[in-house]
Amino acid sequence: MRRRAIAIAALLALAALAIVAAASATTNRAAAPSAQAATAASLVKCGKTRSIGLMAPFTGPAASIGINQVHWAQYFQRTYNATHKTKIKFVNEDTMLGSANGTAEAVKGAQALGSNPSVLGVVGPAGSNEVKATTGALKGAGLGFVSGSATNTQITTDGTRTGYFFRTVPPDSSQSKSVSGYITGKLKVTKVYIVDDQEAYSIGLADEVEAQLKAKGVTVGRDGVSQQQSDFSAIINKIPRDTELVYLPWQLPPKGQAFGQQMKSLGRGSVKLMGSDGLFDPLFSGLGSNVYDSFFPLNPSDKRVKAFKKLHGGASELFGAPSYVATQVVSGAIDRACANGTASRAEVRAQLKKTKISKKASLLGLPVSFDKNGDMVKKPFGVYHSVNGVFVRVG
Amino acid sequence: MVGPNLEGGVPPGPGVVDQPRVGVDEWVANVDERREAQKGLTGLVRRAWEGVPPAGRLVILLGPFAIFPFFANEGNLYRYGLITVVYALLALGLNVVVGFAGLLDLGYVAFFGFGAYLYGIMASGHSGHHLQAEIAIPIAVVAAALVGLLLGLTSWRLLGDYLAIVTLFFLQAFVIFVNNANGGPSDFSYPFVGRVDLTGGANGLDQIDPLNFFGYHITTTKGYYFYTLISLALLMTMLYFVNKSRTGRAWRALREDPLAAEVMTMPVNRLKLLAFMFGAGTAGFTGTIFGAVQSGAFPGDYDVGLLITIYAIVILGGLGSIGGVVIGALVVNGAPELLRSSSNARFLFYGVLLLALLVAMRPWYRPVVVLLGTIAFGAVVRVVVAAAWPRGTAGHVQGGGAFGRALDHWVLIPTHVDRIAGWAYFVLILAALVLTLVRGWWRTIALIPTLYLASFVWENKLVEQVSGATRLILLGALLVVIMNVRPAGIFGTSRVEIV
Amino acid sequence: MNWSLFFGELVSGLTLGSIYALIALGYTMVYGILKLLNFAHGDVYMVGAFIGFFVLQWLGGPLTTAVTGWLAIAIMFVVAMLGCGALGVGIEIFAYRPLRNAPRIAPLISALGVSIFLQNSALLLWGPQFRSYDTFDLIGVKSYHIGRNFFISNIQIFTIAASFGLMAVLTWLVARTRTGKAMRATSFDREAAEMMGIRVDRVISFTFFVGSALAAAGGVMFGIVFGQIFSLMGFTAGLKGFTAAVVGGIGSIPGAMLGGFLIGLTEAFATGYLPGGSTYANLYVFALLIAMFLVRPSGLLGSPVIQKV
Repeated sequence: MRRRAIAIAALLALAALAIVAAASATTNRAAAPSAQAATAASLVKCGKTRSIGLMAPFTGPAASIGINQVHWAQYFQRTYNATHKTKIKFVNEDTMLGSANGTAEAVKGAQALGSNPSVLGVVGPAGSNEVKATTGALKGAGLGFVSGSATNTQITTDGTRTGYFFRTVPPDSSQSKSVSGYITGKLKVTKVYIVDDQEAYSIGLADEVEAQLKAKGVTVGRDGVSQQQSDFSAIINKIPRDTELVYLPWQLPPKGQAFGQQMKSLGRGSVKLMGSDGLFDPLFSGLGSNVYDSFFPLNPSDKRVKAFKKLHGGASELFGAPSYVATQVVSGAIDRACANGTASRAEVRAQLKKTKISKKASLLGLPVSFDKNGDMVKKPFGVYHSVNGVFVRVG
Repeated sequence: MVGPNLEGGVPPGPGVVDQPRVGVDEWVANVDERREAQKGLTGLVRRAWEGVPPAGRLVILLGPFAIFPFFANEGNLYRYGLITVVYALLALGLNVVVGFAGLLDLGYVAFFGFGAYLYGIMASGHSGHHLQAEIAIPIAVVAAALVGLLLGLTSWRLLGDYLAIVTLFFLQAFVIFVNNANGGPSDFSYPFVGRVDLTGGANGLDQIDPLNFFGYHITTTKGYYFYTLISLALLMTMLYFVNKSRTGRAWRALREDPLAAEVMTMPVNRLKLLAFMFGAGTAGFTGTIFGAVQSGAFPGDYDVGLLITIYAIVILGGLGSIGGVVIGALVVNGAPELLRSSSNARFLFYGVLLLALLVAMRPWYRPVVVLLGTIAFGAVVRVVVAAAWPRGTAGHVQGGGAFGRALDHWVLIPTHVDRIAGWAYFVLILAALVLTLVRGWWRTIALIPTLYLASFVWENKLVEQVSGATRLILLGALLVVIMNVRPAGIFGTSRVEIV
Repeated sequence: MNWSLFFGELVSGLTLGSIYALIALGYTMVYGILKLLNFAHGDVYMVGAFIGFFVLQWLGGPLTTAVTGWLAIAIMFVVAMLGCGALGVGIEIFAYRPLRNAPRIAPLISALGVSIFLQNSALLLWGPQFRSYDTFDLIGVKSYHIGRNFFISNIQIFTIAASFGLMAVLTWLVARTRTGKAMRATSFDREAAEMMGIRVDRVISFTFFVGSALAAAGGVMFGIVFGQIFSLMGFTAGLKGFTAAVVGGIGSIPGAMLGGFLIGLTEAFATGYLPGGSTYANLYVFALLIAMFLVRPSGLLGSPVIQKV
C-alpha cells in the first residue's frame, strides 16, 4: 500500500510540475517564435533601467572564477548606479561552465536572453567553447556580446561572429608572444618542458608557446595532465633532468601550487616555473623566487582595484577585472545608442564597435577600443616575477 | 529474490488447499489477474490507460508536445521543449539496451557524441565538407551502430557488473580521444595521412552546418523541435512493434535470466549485439540532431554527467516502458529548469514535502497535527532565538514573493550562516535516517523538529545552489528512495523473480 | 637505459599503488560478501580526505598545529577512519540492506544514487575549489637517495609503509580472528552462514566499516602525498580502485593488494615511457583491465567461478 501511495504522490507531483511548466510558459508569451528575427532591429524605448544580460558560471566546477567575474561586473554596476540617473540591471544566466551538461546550459541561457526583449547587450560568456556554442543563438537574436575571459585566438579571427563578439581581454596569441619572448629574450633558457591541463584554454596556449619556442631553437618537451589529477610525480619524473624551465598554462592556482610543492619534494625545486594568467595568485607566487607568471597589465594600486579588494574582504582575485571593463563597454554602448530615447540591438552593436575608453578611465592600464575582429587594439601581456612571495612586473 | 513462505518451518501436506503463496507457481501465474483487480486510483488509471488503443496512447503522450510551441517563446521552447525531446530520444535508445535487454551500458553517451562528431566531420565549416543531411545522417547512424557492434563484442563473455565497467571505460576513452584528436602534438599520427585534425580537440568541432535535406535547411528552433518530435514518434512506434515481436520477447528472456535463455537455445550473444547496435544507432541519430542544433560538438558535452541524466530518465520512467521514458524526460529536464528561480524551487520543495506528508501518513488527522505542530514549534523557536541571539534572525529569505515574506517570519535565518548550515545539513541527514527507524507516534513527534530543520537547511544552504549541486543531491536521494520503494521505476512493471 | 627515470617511476608507482590498493580492498570485501559494486566507495574515500583536512584545520592548520607534526597526522588518520567507517555502515543500512533481495540492477542504481548524493553534498558544503593539505611543511620533506639514480622522499616511504601496515592488520583480522572467519564464511555462502548462527547483518556492517575505514586512510594519505583534494576526486579514484580489485581477482584480499600496486605501476610507467604519456595513462590502465577480462576473467588471484545451474 505504501508503494501505491508513493506512486500516487509521484503522479500528483508530475501533474503539479506540468501545471507550473505550462503556467510559466504562458506568462512569457512576450514574443512568438516567428517574431524572433524582428527583435534584432526592433526598437526598445530606453527607460530608466537598462537591462544587460550576464552570462557566467555562477555554479558548477568553474564557479570560483565565475563568481569572481560576477563580483567585478556587479562592482561596475554599483559604481555606475551610484553616479548616474539611469540604472543598470543584470539578467543573470548561469552557464555552469565545466559542469555535467557541457555547453548545453550556456546555449539555453543564450536563447533565454535572446527572447527577452529588454536585453540589449550581453556580458559573457566566460569560456571560449561557450562563445562558440552560443554564437548561433546570440547572433540569431541580434545581440552583441562582450567577454572578459574567452581568450582562444581563433574565435575572433575565424569570421563567424565578427561584429557581434568582442572581448576585453588579450587573446592567447598575445600571451604566448609575451611568454616566449621573455623566455628566450630575458631568461635565455634553451630547454623547456610544457605541461598543459587538457582544457581548451591550456592546450591552445601551450600549442602556441611550443611553436614559438621551437622556432627560436629551444628544445621543448610536451605533456599534459588532466585538471582532475593531483598526482604529478609521474610527470615530474619524466621531465628531463637538464630542463631549465617548466611552463604551466593552467587555470587553477591550487594545482600550480601542488605541482611546485611536488617538484620540491622530488628534489627539483630549483627548476624555474612559468605560469599563465590563470595561475596569477598568491598560492602560486608563494612557492618561491623561481616562479614567473604572465598576466594582463592591471595597476594594483588603482583606486578602483583597492576599493574592490576592500569590498570583498582583502584577498580577492583580479581574474575577473576584464569583466568590469566588459560591463563598462556594454553599458557605454547602450547609453550611446539610447541617446535619442530608443535603441535597438543593431544600434547597440554598432556602438560597441565604436567603443573608446581612455587609459585613465580603463581599469586595464591601457585604452580600450576594438579592431575589426573584435579584439582590443592594444593587447599586451605582462610578465611577472615572484619576489618575496608577491608578483612584481618585470617584462 | 522472493523465497518460499515457510510458516512454522514445515511445508503443508499435499491435501491442503489454501491461498497461493508468494513464490509458488500459482502466485506467479496470477500476477496479471492481481493487476487487473487493483483497487483505487492507480488501478483505475492503469485500466483506463491500457484500454486505449496504442495509437491513441501515442497521441495522448505526444499531443501536448505538439501544441507546446504555439504557447512558448523561443527561449522556453528550446529549454523545455527541444532539449526534453532530445533527451527522450536518447533515453529510448538506452531503454532498449538496459530496459529491454538488461545490459548495463555505461558508455552510452559516447555514441551520442560519436554521432555529433561524425556529422560534424561530414558537414561543417571546420572540416570543409558539406554533405547533405540525407546522406550524412544514415552514414552517422550506421557508423554508430558498427561501433556499438564492436563494443558489444567485448561483452561476449561479460555480463552485469563487468560489462558496466568496460563500457564506462569506453566512454572515458572516447572523451580523451576526442579531446586530443586535433592534429596537434598530443594526437596520434595515423599510418598514411599523418596527423589530422579530426575533432578540433579541446576547442571542439565548431561551425557545424544546420541539417540540410535536399536543399531545405532547418534553421529555426521550431523546425528542429518538430523534426525531433516526429523522429521520436516514429521511434516509439517502431519500438512498440519490436517489443511485441520475437526479438522483443527474446530480449526480455535475456534480461530475466541469461543462463536459462541460453539453455533454451536462444542466440544470447547475437541478441546482446543487436541490442547494443540498436541503442548505438539511436544515440548516433540523436547526436546528429544535437550537433546541428548547437552548431558545434564539444568534448565536455558527452561525459558522465549526461550519462547520469539519461539513466535517471530511464529509471524514473521505468525500465522497459516506452511511454514512461517520455514522462521521465519531462520530469528530469523540466524540473531543474523550474528550479532555477529560488521562488519556484521553494514552491516545489515545500509542495513536495506537503504531498509526501499527506500521502505517507494515514489517517488524515496525522499530517494536520504534524503541520500545525511544526508551525507552532517554528514560531516558538524563532521567538526564543530572536530574544537570545538577535543575529540569528536578522537575515532574509532569498527570492521574494508573498510566500517568501511569510517564511521570513517563521524560519531562522542567521546572518552569518555557513558553518551552522553545514552542521545543520549533517544533522538533518541523521534525523531523516532516524525517522525511518522509529515508528508510530514517535515518528509523528520526531517529524516536527525534522521538518523545521529541513526548512532551515533549505532556506540557508540548499537554495543557494538550486540549479547545480542541490538538484543533483535531490536526484541522488530520489534514486535511492525509488530503488527502495519501486525498483522497476514509476511506470515499469514489477518483476517477479523465482528462486 | 635511463635508470633515474625507471626508479623514479617505480617509486611513484608504488606510492600511487598503495593508495589504490587501500581503495581496492574495500571494493573487494564488499563484492565478496554482497556481490555488489559499491559505486559510492570512491566518494567515501573523498569524504575521508576532507575529514582529514578539517581535522588539520581544527588542530590549527598546517603551519601552527597545536601538537607536533606526526601526532597531528595520526589524529587525522584515526578521526577520518572512524568517521568514514560510520558513514560506510550508514550507507549499507539505508541504501543496500533493503535491496538485498531485489533484482541485481536495483542496488547498483542505488549505489549510483548514493555516489551522486555524496559528491554533490560535498560540492554544496565545501565548494568546488581544491583544498591544500600543505603538510609538506608540517612534516618536513626530506629526499633520500641511493647512488645517483634512486631517489625517494620520506613521505613516499611513509605512504608505502603505512599501506603495508594496514594491509597486514587486515590480513591478520581476516585470517586469525573469529570475525574474520565469519566474514569469510558469509562471503562463501550467505544463507549457510546464517543458518550456522552467524549474525550476517553484523558481519556485513563490520565489513563495510573496515572497507570504508581503509578508503579513508587512503584519502588522507593522498592528501598528504599529493597535497590537493577536491569534491570530485572520488570518481576516478574509485574507478581505478575497482579496476585494481578486478585485476587482482575480485573477492580475494591479497588479489586487491596486488592489483592496486599493478595499476599504480602501470600508470606510472605508462606516463613515463609511452607516447602521449599522462594524457593517455588512464586509458592504458583500462586497456589492462580489458585484456585481463578477455584472458583471465576471474583476475590474477581469483578463483574461477563455477555457476551451478
